[in-house]
Amino acid sequence: MVQEEYRGTRQWSRNRQAIAIVVWISFLTAAIGTMIFFALFDPVDLSGIIDENLEIGRDAGYAAGFFFFWILTAICSAVTAWLVRTAPKRDAQNRR
Amino acid sequence: MSTERDERRAQGAPMFASAEKIYPREMKGRFASLSRLATLILLGLFYAVPWLLWDDRQAFLFDLPARKFYLLGLTLWPQDFPYLALLLIIAALSLFFFTALLGRVWCGFACPQTVWTEAFIWMEQWTEGTRSQRMKLDKAPWGWNKLRRKGSKQLLWLTFSLWTGFTFVSYFTPVRVLGPELLTLTAGNWAIFWTVFYGFATYGNAGYMREQVCKYMCPYARFQSAMFDKDTLIISYDERRGEPRGGRKRSADPRALGLGDCIDCKVCVQVCPTGIDIRDGLQYDCIACAACIDACDSVMDRMKYPRGLVRYSTEQSMQGGDSRVLRPRVFVYATLLLVLCAGLITSMATRTPIILDIIRDRNSLYRELPDGLIENIYTVKIVNQRNIARSFHLSVDGIAGIKLDGIPAVVIVDGGSVLSLPVRARAHRDDAYGIMGITFGVADVDDASLAITADSRFLGPTP
Repeated sequence: MVQEEYRGTRQWSRNRQAIAIVVWISFLTAAIGTMIFFALFDPVDLSGIIDENLEIGRDAGYAAGFFFFWILTAICSAVTAWLVRTAPKRDAQNRR
Repeated sequence: MSTERDERRAQGAPMFASAEKIYPREMKGRFASLSRLATLILLGLFYAVPWLLWDDRQAFLFDLPARKFYLLGLTLWPQDFPYLALLLIIAALSLFFFTALLGRVWCGFACPQTVWTEAFIWMEQWTEGTRSQRMKLDKAPWGWNKLRRKGSKQLLWLTFSLWTGFTFVSYFTPVRVLGPELLTLTAGNWAIFWTVFYGFATYGNAGYMREQVCKYMCPYARFQSAMFDKDTLIISYDERRGEPRGGRKRSADPRALGLGDCIDCKVCVQVCPTGIDIRDGLQYDCIACAACIDACDSVMDRMKYPRGLVRYSTEQSMQGGDSRVLRPRVFVYATLLLVLCAGLITSMATRTPIILDIIRDRNSLYRELPDGLIENIYTVKIVNQRNIARSFHLSVDGIAGIKLDGIPAVVIVDGGSVLSLPVRARAHRDDAYGIMGITFGVADVDDASLAITADSRFLGPTP
């Protein structure tokens, strides 16, 4: 009543919620993953393994690692959200 | 109430019907002062800490390029990662502990989302005015006044966001180097990128997304109820005292009108940053900021009713029972917390500030020397975690007569650095055959208690 009127259109649509959740949660998991990964491996050592002539600094290594993790976790998150949301309707109705 | 009527008149429309966003109303009171204090202290710490010095270097610096963390006098290396993990577990457990005890105090007073949102709302109030002024301004057509007010708000927000981004990056890059570099635009690309990235995240989160982050994106907001029980402190509306709600004159006796103490002024709803009605009961959107308590108390004062129609309470006491602070759940969290803290402190206090790594040369098995000796080659890595240079004796043991060749009697490792030393170990072929275990040791020349060993293997001919 009061609440509904007051909130107006400020509630997020389902799509917007889903996007925000995917982006944020994948960001958090990517941050944790990056932290653990680079505590164990030094990006400078890694660049030598991939290609001996490749010379990237630690700054760039960390950033590349973080975005790699973020893209990966975001894909995982997004596909999960999408599959959960697009499950067959009939199935959802029979669920208890 | 007069303010409400004024507002209606000012808008010339029913009060909430056309509201498209939440305009939290400014509120004075005990909890508003507390939250202002918390915001000032926490933000003050965040912005000031990078500038603190400790022995000519930044007191708190997570030097990622050098892979070393400085915390006051302590230097942490990547090998110390378990400490960091333990620290994070302790932080999570503390959150559980305080949630069980005090409900969502974290959300209301300490969460960065809340703290920065509060700071952004202050800036909004300085430039755009009070709640009703802001609503009016948003409805007004674009003109000089609107442009000036909105423009100065954006200017404040953007400057503050960029400063926030800069401060964030300066936890990882020395602030006294980064500051001038950013001002003269000579900073590295990544420093600029992360400053803008973090600044933009602050701007979006605290300026626009605000309570939506708590409602839709925060995992803690969803699972905090698992830590709740009947004795957890929550903000609640005293339904038995307040209902039936309804408007009345200040002079009227509510009992004679058959009314409860709630005058249905809706101020508690207007002040709510997440736009809920606390009178509907406990909701997971409630971030326990206690703005509604201040709001209701001020109304109760004006009505000359006792305070506390909306108050911090527990489900137990709302139902007429007695709340217990000490209960199994609290004990379990507290014990776990104590054990982990004690573990962390002991292990950090007793940690040896030297690390010894032995890497056996993988390219050769062994070499036979003319005088009947067998030689194996190793790389010895000595990490000195102290900040001053130290001298070490290097030794090896495990095979009769085994000796190290080609190393100085004393090796010096600079403070906070790693020494990589190629080492040849030699033993007579009568003593060394097959695969044998050996033990390397380093001992501090000046301090006998500083010693550490590491195991490796010595290969010899098959007997």
